[in-house]
Amino acid sequence: MGLGIDKKGQFIVIAAMLMSIMIISISAIIYSSVTYFKAERWEEYVILVDSVKTGTTRVVEISLANYTQTLNTTILRDNMDKWSPDVKQAYPGFGVILTYTLPSALTQAYGVSINYALGLARTWYQATSFSAGNTNVSLSLASAGLTGYSFSTSAFLKETILDATYTAKTKMLTIYLSIEREDLIPITNLKKDSFSLRVDGVSKDFSVSRYYSSTFSRFIYEIRRENEPSLPFVVSVTATETRGIRVIANSTVMQV
Amino acid sequence: MRKAKSEKGQMRIIEALLAIFLVFFAIAFVNLFALTPASQTYEAGELEKIGFNVLHDLDDQKLLARFVQYEEWANLTAALTVSLPTDVYFNLTVYDLGGKVVNTASISYGTARVFSSSFVASVTYIVPGYQAGYSPKILVLQLVRG
Repeated sequence: MGLGIDKKGQFIVIAAMLMSIMIISISAIIYSSVTYFKAERWEEYVILVDSVKTGTTRVVEISLANYTQTLNTTILRDNMDKWSPDVKQAYPGFGVILTYTLPSALTQAYGVSINYALGLARTWYQATSFSAGNTNVSLSLASAGLTGYSFSTSAFLKETILDATYTAKTKMLTIYLSIEREDLIPITNLKKDSFSLRVDGVSKDFSVSRYYSSTFSRFIYEIRRENEPSLPFVVSVTATETRGIRVIANSTVMQV
Repeated sequence: MRKAKSEKGQMRIIEALLAIFLVFFAIAFVNLFALTPASQTYEAGELEKIGFNVLHDLDDQKLLARFVQYEEWANLTAALTVSLPTDVYFNLTVYDLGGKVVNTASISYGTARVFSSSFVASVTYIVPGYQAGYSPKILVLQLVRG
């Protein structure tokens, strides 16, 4: 009988030992999961992919800015050819492989028809004018086993002359226009030095104000030229936004 | 008989204490490997995320490329100081693609001793250029929690 009681007492210790073994075993599994996660450097990979995506967007913006300033039609291809090895060099040891394709076709986007050639397009000297750039990228990270991660990146700038009027009595030329970027987000921070005005092909001085117009139901820029002697035939407004991308819109002028 | 019963009672207490000790030892042992917010492994990952977000935000505002292009190192230092948490020290180095250091002035907050003695998180960010010019620079941002 006494022996039986002693055996029950030992059972408590054995149960506690089993519990301890269980706790330590579970911890070993959890720890191995944590160290595996740590060894794979997932956070680093995510940051790298984000960084490459952001950088590629900047390359498209830089190329579009260059194209709209110099009309070099191969600039996006040239820059992407440099960007691919440059990314590899910036992140050594990751096995970064970046390939790209440039669209050369007619596509509908942002409410306009964009006719890309080597990833670049422009339609200028219209009431609705735009400049656009686009590239499709495939990214592989050999160190992470990531292959063929595809994304598309684009840059876009649209200028719309909503109305251009001339008041003979006051000799005032007034142009109402809106500027939009990708996803038709209005650009609201442009100042006078972002614009230039040509009246019948001649560069002229002007003043700019910006406000939300209930008439046009959007944020607009109002360009005013005082002492214009007669009714002009056509006005041309060049807009260059902070990324350096340029667009030129034309409009005939109505007398009021 | 009375003496034997009391001895058995003492043994039960010793066994119970032993059992408690075993369980607590196991829990304490497990805690050694826990990945808590205070541990260095967790901290480095957090700092890397903070560092990338700050550089990405500055890039989004078109400030980062301008600071690098026109070598506005004082402005870049000020922007990083304002954007990062006050208890985070940083040291930014700008390289060209040839590996040559571009920044002529130090872009840092905190003494050199901080970066040598503590666990340092590092973020690499590439800036392709500014406006119409393709001229890539590699930014290496080191971060330490003070």
